[in-house]
Amino acid sequence: MSSFQIVSASRHQRTRVITDYHASLGDSLMYTQTFPLEFRDIQSCYPIFFIKDPDSGQFLATALFGFEAEENLFLNNRSWDASYLPMMIRRQPFLIARQGVDPASPENTQPVISIDMDHPRVNESQGEQLFLDNGEPSVFLQEAIELMKNIHRAHQHNENFQQALLKYDLLESLNLDITFNNGSKKSISHFYSINESALYNLAGDALADLNKQGYLQPLFMAIASLSRLRPLIDRKDRP
Amino acid sequence: MNDPIIKIVIVGGGSAGWLTAGIIAAEHCISKPASSEGFQLTLIESPDISTIGVGEGTWPSMRNTLEKIGISETDFLKSCDASFKQGTYFKDWATGKGDTYAHPFTVPHRYADINLAPHWLAHTERPSFAEAVCPQTQLFSERLAPKQITTPEYAFNVNYGYHLNATKFAAMLKRHCIDILGVEHIEATVTEVNASENSDIESISTDRTNPISGDLFIDCTGSRALLLGKFYGIPLQQKSHILFNNSALATQVAYPTEDAPIESCTLSTAQQAGWIWDIGLSNRRGVGHVYSSEHTTEDEASVDLINHIESLTTTAYAKQVSLRKLTFEPGFRQKFWHKNCVAIGMSAGFIEPLEASALVLVELSAAMIAEQLPARRSIMDIVAKRFNEKFLFRWERIIDFLKLHYVLTKKKQLPYWSDNLIGSSVPDSLKEAIELWRYNSPWHYDTRQVDELFPSASFQYVLYGMGFKTLSSHTERKTEQNAAKLASGLFQENAERAAKLKSSLPSNRELINKINTFGLQKI
Repeated sequence: MSSFQIVSASRHQRTRVITDYHASLGDSLMYTQTFPLEFRDIQSCYPIFFIKDPDSGQFLATALFGFEAEENLFLNNRSWDASYLPMMIRRQPFLIARQGVDPASPENTQPVISIDMDHPRVNESQGEQLFLDNGEPSVFLQEAIELMKNIHRAHQHNENFQQALLKYDLLESLNLDITFNNGSKKSISHFYSINESALYNLAGDALADLNKQGYLQPLFMAIASLSRLRPLIDRKDRP
Repeated sequence: MNDPIIKIVIVGGGSAGWLTAGIIAAEHCISKPASSEGFQLTLIESPDISTIGVGEGTWPSMRNTLEKIGISETDFLKSCDASFKQGTYFKDWATGKGDTYAHPFTVPHRYADINLAPHWLAHTERPSFAEAVCPQTQLFSERLAPKQITTPEYAFNVNYGYHLNATKFAAMLKRHCIDILGVEHIEATVTEVNASENSDIESISTDRTNPISGDLFIDCTGSRALLLGKFYGIPLQQKSHILFNNSALATQVAYPTEDAPIESCTLSTAQQAGWIWDIGLSNRRGVGHVYSSEHTTEDEASVDLINHIESLTTTAYAKQVSLRKLTFEPGFRQKFWHKNCVAIGMSAGFIEPLEASALVLVELSAAMIAEQLPARRSIMDIVAKRFNEKFLFRWERIIDFLKLHYVLTKKKQLPYWSDNLIGSSVPDSLKEAIELWRYNSPWHYDTRQVDELFPSASFQYVLYGMGFKTLSSHTERKTEQNAAKLASGLFQENAERAAKLKSSLPSNRELINKINTFGLQKI
């Protein structure tokens, strides 16, 4: 269950957020959503695959952490063993809400930062304070606000990305058949990746269109990210 | 003689004409006149003659057909008010006292390897045949969809066809044929068919164009059969002595609310002298009573239909519906392809829509023409001969299969139903098959051609749905002993698969709403 509250000094003076990474803090994730704006950083650590949102059938880009539900091979002794953490991981337990005179019409609302009070990171004894004793926002909270702004921007940039992928037939379905060192096999379906030959066969106009929208670089980053698959298998194989 | 086939002329719009145009145009490189790389395809449609606009159920084959034509399934579902059809559900056919059975689009579990029918028959405590052997059947009662929003276009979790608005379907195909596939569209009414010296059709005169010439003419003029019937005089072979239904009353019934559930299959409810169809589109039902005018009157038939509609809605609603009357001569032409003219759709034949065979015959006819399109006039007669053999066989098989639905009834007190049991009304081929099925359950040897319309599994669903008994063999067979060991495990597997599907599939209404919002993905 989630219970979101708009962050305010009066209400959250004593609230603290644990910044470790651990299964008990909700980090046992097989993957998380990622955005083309961060593909460059993501591909240095994680393979990027596309999956369909089960509620809408729309494509989502995801960074892969493991090979089965609730398996996160980057969790290690209360830390996250990677040089870059996806925005959607770092954002926990915050979310952007919209506040305004008329919540039904988005143009009259302001994005505001809210916090999930039921999140296992949220407590009053350990972790980073949201507000200093004088009521000023802490550096931690200021960074979180900055991150939420970046996520907001990444969402907007992502909006037409999926349309562009479909328009140019740049996705193809993929079945991953993986054999681990111990001989066990894993077959993962329902994954999609960038169709490289379709990308290389795009005409100049299409490439210019993708480049203008800032989508060309992320496409190549997504392709490059697949070389992170082998290191991820190796993580699983580590004794 | 230089006799290449270049120009194809389809006479008549409607579902048959435009579906045929789409199938042929999608297979061939169609060129507008004045270019010479491909065939030319022209469709003449009369703005003064309206299409019949019924035929709202398809087979699963329609998915493949639409995909080949190049239509997006999302666009199709939205523009034709379409929904998913997973089979037919029959009520009151055996005893008339609330009996039901299902004919799902999925063959029994592991059908290729094992015939489960004898093993189902051997049990006394058991679910219905269709439920025991096919997971799809259990989706019907909960009105579940055959797929999820994440399932790509035209792919499925369980096999399905469609319910659709036939008028909107023809309009959608027409736009696609003209805008995308390069079909030439001429709006004019045919006034005369002009023959050449060798009795081929040379051209078609119309009320507002110069005569339209062609190398192959496709007659999609509906029951008028202007070319094959009226011009060439190829007679209709009447089948009303086998299948008595020759009239229908049709109407549309609104859903009580926008969110009302949509059925997963066509509902077919037996009446005194015919049966009522109930087809759930996304925005309304199509309901109609098809009956034999020899056995009931139009007034009685409308009372039965109104009563049925009342059971779906309210008394006040049922009182105000307006019914549209259709009559037809059940039967098919002595041949379908004569000289350089081939008939598709109602011009070729028409039979009651009990198993929705009308559109699938259009698909199959057009597909064979598209593939076998003779390069030259000199070989056309060979293609025509093969086409006629194949489709005469198919029509005979349809007649047999539809008749099978009637001959197992126990409602002997009603004249219509008892007349259906009279020996002279049952084709010999069907009598013979039923005699055989008393001892041998239908299986692969009952599918006599590779591309048979109804697989032997369909015979099983109808036979055992209607309470037919195949006697167990009086001697031991090794294959059956082995199969008996497998069978109980397979019944269990089927039940598990059904439970899994039930928990993962959305309702038809929910899926259609989602498709309207998000669309289905192509991959």
